[in-house]
Amino acid sequence: MEHSLDPYASLLIHIVSGVGFALTTWVGSLLLGRVGRATGVKNVPYECGMLPEPGPQPRFSVKFYLVAMLFILFDIEIVFLYPWSVVYREYLQQYGVEILGVLATFTAILFAGYLYAIRKGALDWSK
Amino acid sequence: MSLLLILTIVLPLAASLLIMAGADPRRTSLVAAVVNLAFSLVLFFGYDRTAGGWQFLSEWKILPKLGINMTLGADGLTLVMILLATLVTVSALWVAPKVEKYNGLYHVSLLFISAGVIGAFASLDVLFLYSFHELALIPTFLMIGIWGTGDRQAAAWKATIYLGLGSFVLLIGLIALYISIPSGHRTLDLRELDQLATSGVLHPSALIYLLLLVGFGSLVSLFPLHSWAPGAYACAPPPAAMLHAGVLKKFGLYGLIRIALPLFPEAMHELNGLLLLLVVGNILYIGYVTVSQKRLDWTIGYSSVMHMGYIFLGLASLNMIGVSGAALLMFAHGLSVAAAFALCGEIRRRTGTLEYSELGGIARTAPVLALLFGFATMASLGLPGFANFAGEVLVFFGATAAGSVMVIPVIVAVWGVVISAIYMLRAYRNVFWGPVVQRWESVADIASGAKWAVILLLLPLMIAGFYPQFILKMAGTALPH
Amino acid sequence: MNTLYLEIAVVVLGIILLMVESYSASANKARLAWIGAIGLFGVLLLSFIPQHAPAPGSPAAAFITSDLLSVFFVRLILAATIVFLLTVPSFFPALRISLPAEREGGGLGEFAILPIFVCAGLMWMVSAVDFIMIFVSLELATITLYILATYLRQNTASLESGTKFLILGALSTGFIVYGISWLFGTTGTTNLLALPSAIAALPEAAVTPLLFGIGMILVALSFKISAFPFQFWVPDVYQGAPTPVTSYLSVASKAAGFVVLIRLLGALWAIPAVSHQIHAVITLLAALTLIFGNFAAIPQTNMKRLLGYSSVAHAGYLLMAVASLSSKMAVPAIGFYFAGYLAMTMLSFVVLQVVSEATGGDEISRFNGLGRRSPLLAGAMLLAAASLAGIPFTAGFIGKLLVFEVALKQGHYGLVALGCVTVAAGFYYYFKVIRAMYWQQPAEETSIAVPGALRFLIAVLGAAIIAFGVYPAPILAALR
Repeated sequence: MEHSLDPYASLLIHIVSGVGFALTTWVGSLLLGRVGRATGVKNVPYECGMLPEPGPQPRFSVKFYLVAMLFILFDIEIVFLYPWSVVYREYLQQYGVEILGVLATFTAILFAGYLYAIRKGALDWSK
Repeated sequence: MSLLLILTIVLPLAASLLIMAGADPRRTSLVAAVVNLAFSLVLFFGYDRTAGGWQFLSEWKILPKLGINMTLGADGLTLVMILLATLVTVSALWVAPKVEKYNGLYHVSLLFISAGVIGAFASLDVLFLYSFHELALIPTFLMIGIWGTGDRQAAAWKATIYLGLGSFVLLIGLIALYISIPSGHRTLDLRELDQLATSGVLHPSALIYLLLLVGFGSLVSLFPLHSWAPGAYACAPPPAAMLHAGVLKKFGLYGLIRIALPLFPEAMHELNGLLLLLVVGNILYIGYVTVSQKRLDWTIGYSSVMHMGYIFLGLASLNMIGVSGAALLMFAHGLSVAAAFALCGEIRRRTGTLEYSELGGIARTAPVLALLFGFATMASLGLPGFANFAGEVLVFFGATAAGSVMVIPVIVAVWGVVISAIYMLRAYRNVFWGPVVQRWESVADIASGAKWAVILLLLPLMIAGFYPQFILKMAGTALPH
Repeated sequence: MNTLYLEIAVVVLGIILLMVESYSASANKARLAWIGAIGLFGVLLLSFIPQHAPAPGSPAAAFITSDLLSVFFVRLILAATIVFLLTVPSFFPALRISLPAEREGGGLGEFAILPIFVCAGLMWMVSAVDFIMIFVSLELATITLYILATYLRQNTASLESGTKFLILGALSTGFIVYGISWLFGTTGTTNLLALPSAIAALPEAAVTPLLFGIGMILVALSFKISAFPFQFWVPDVYQGAPTPVTSYLSVASKAAGFVVLIRLLGALWAIPAVSHQIHAVITLLAALTLIFGNFAAIPQTNMKRLLGYSSVAHAGYLLMAVASLSSKMAVPAIGFYFAGYLAMTMLSFVVLQVVSEATGGDEISRFNGLGRRSPLLAGAMLLAAASLAGIPFTAGFIGKLLVFEVALKQGHYGLVALGCVTVAAGFYYYFKVIRAMYWQQPAEETSIAVPGALRFLIAVLGAAIIAFGVYPAPILAALR
């Protein structure tokens, strides 16, 4: 190859194929699908199972939010471990102890948060 | 001796701390004031007039990099003003009644005003000159608002806004003056500023002078920045009115003599026409307004505004005679207006009203009160024998000597004496003479305490009236020859 | 010692307290606040051990510095946090009403612990020299502050305050991230120290996107320092938030915002390509903030809103000094102004806290006749208001004096003239409080008791106001 593909070309291909796929399916279903008599029920995206639009105020236990939030928090924090593990080898020579210490501190702080959450009963479903 | 000068400022503050801690307000404050008067007399007579210049110096470094130091010291003019301040303080505390609400705070405020003005007069540093004045101003507002009579809140607000804005314009003027000094010479010390001016380093613009004139002018109730004054004095409790009209207001004039005269000779020449115009307004316009007043306190309030015109005239003459006349008049007016407000308060305490239409014939049962008020009236009219006379005469001489520009202002000023005779005599007649109103058939005479408080003010006035050199020689040490 | 260790000590203190709070059986949560205050005081003392910046080239040096500015403001923030913690125990009664807890003392402990984390965040923020670091520490501080602002859970005003703060805070976070990304996109660095040389090497065409990025960051910082036109959240948030939080918000969080502004502008100030526009924008910002803060404060009847607008007004005076950053006295002037501002603002909030506890509201009319009900409180408020208005012999006066002096020297005559007018307006609205305390009749005659810790605070803060006002040299020397 005389010159490599411009890096942005792959992006272009990605966009074209994404939009193209959506267009193709939509146009295809318009052309091929048989259009019956449209009723309100029939136009609902899923014709069986749960209704997609529930009543105005369904009841959830507030604990659900708490647990979900805690999950997201710890989940996101763990994501930070990923870049660390990627660069660990490179920096090992130069900053061996420090870089381990940084991670240990980070985890310790997380752990303190975890202990706090347990003690405050945030993970206790029965209560 | 320099310690004594510091003590005159510290003593009132220490006394107010004692009062806050629970000491008896009246006794503590009076003792402090009397001791302070003694100090100021010692300083007054201890000043070496032949040596002249600044004496009793002491200095603390505050912001040396900016050239700001707290420097205290005194020359003749300072000592005259400090004497005035301590005299009026004693008298004001003497006539101060026992008030129902915040009795302690009442005396603390008076002591703060006293400490503030003495500090302002004794400061050689322009910034502290300004700062001490503010320290005195705040308690004045509080006093009008808390213990005033009539429409006290409106009066206090008006004074607050006028004087607050005025002193801020003044501050900007002072900062601008500081900035206009070539860097390397920057200082706020009056002595060094004088030197810079005489050696020609300093070339401040006329605009800065104008800022200072507006700033100081609104503090002294220079026409047309005067409208806060009569109402504030009418509503203020008598001791506050005495201290403010008698002493604190003189700060603006003192500042002009100290700062504007030596540093802005050219600008003062250039803008003298403007100052003279305002002086004419002060004397003529305010004079006629005073004549039409229907209450004693408003009359005295306006008359004190009007008399500022004479002092400004003395300054505007820009010569030794006129300015020393102005200095003498500052001293004299301070004492006479304080006496007038003290007596005014005594009358109100007896009758509950100061309307001319309701008063009359009080002299029959209160002869001493009438006599003292008569003296105060004569003093403020400028009759011979009182220091006011000597001061006014010197001002007229100085002004006449200053050239043909001054002819009209001098004529107006002389006519002003007639106007003030009209309103003061009318006030005296309406209150003390004439047919006896039934309600006042048994008005009590002045109490002996208040009597001596007023005599304390009138006596120096007469001494200085018969022997004006007593003040003039002292004040003269501060004035440029 | 470099400054990093101070912040680490603060965080460790916070975590230990958090663990103690959750695992100890004691219901005495006030003790946590005392321990926290003592611990922070220890850190404050540690900060006087000579500091040095991280060694050049070390990983920390890219993010953190330890210059005079950062050391000064680290101490300021520690002091503000200590004041906050000392006011916390006497705020517990008010908290208990709006904070139903299953267990005795539940939810109270965190109110004393969260400020410690805010403190750490703000300390990092004033020492940071890299936008990444600034952003992370900013988030640590503000997210914690969101919680503190809405702490009175059952009080709708507090919820409103917290919600507005959260939404607008998130918006400003968006602005700052967006701005940083533009800055990084054009210059290739997020480091403030490397920024000047990076900009100098930029081609002509890159200046516009660069200015766009700087503009976005300035918008976000204007939120933090409550400069017009991004001040609109201030009165609502200040009014609803618990009083100690409001006090802290208006001092510590604003101080950190100003330090970041100074660092950013300090890096850009002398660069010809952008300096012209930046000078103009800051001057305009200062003028508008002065006008809005002071004139909107005049009609206020609620004390917290009044203090909110007044804090906008003070941001205006501070911006005046920022607009004169070419002068070497500008940064000392700002530092001094903040030292005084800390004392006077926190003093007035301490008084407000006691008064609203005793009378049940924050309106100025609740101060009626305070002079008779509690001479101590009224005297303290008088002193604070006098200082806020700028009366001589108080810290506020010297602060304004320095700011005006700096501005005049740099030729900002218009700003100074405007400043005169707004100072007069300030006289008016601060005196409204004094008038209520001394001129009006009290609604009831009972005297108001002041808890011991608050007495101590009033004495210390009041003494600081006068001491700074009479002898400002040591504070200024700390910044020069």
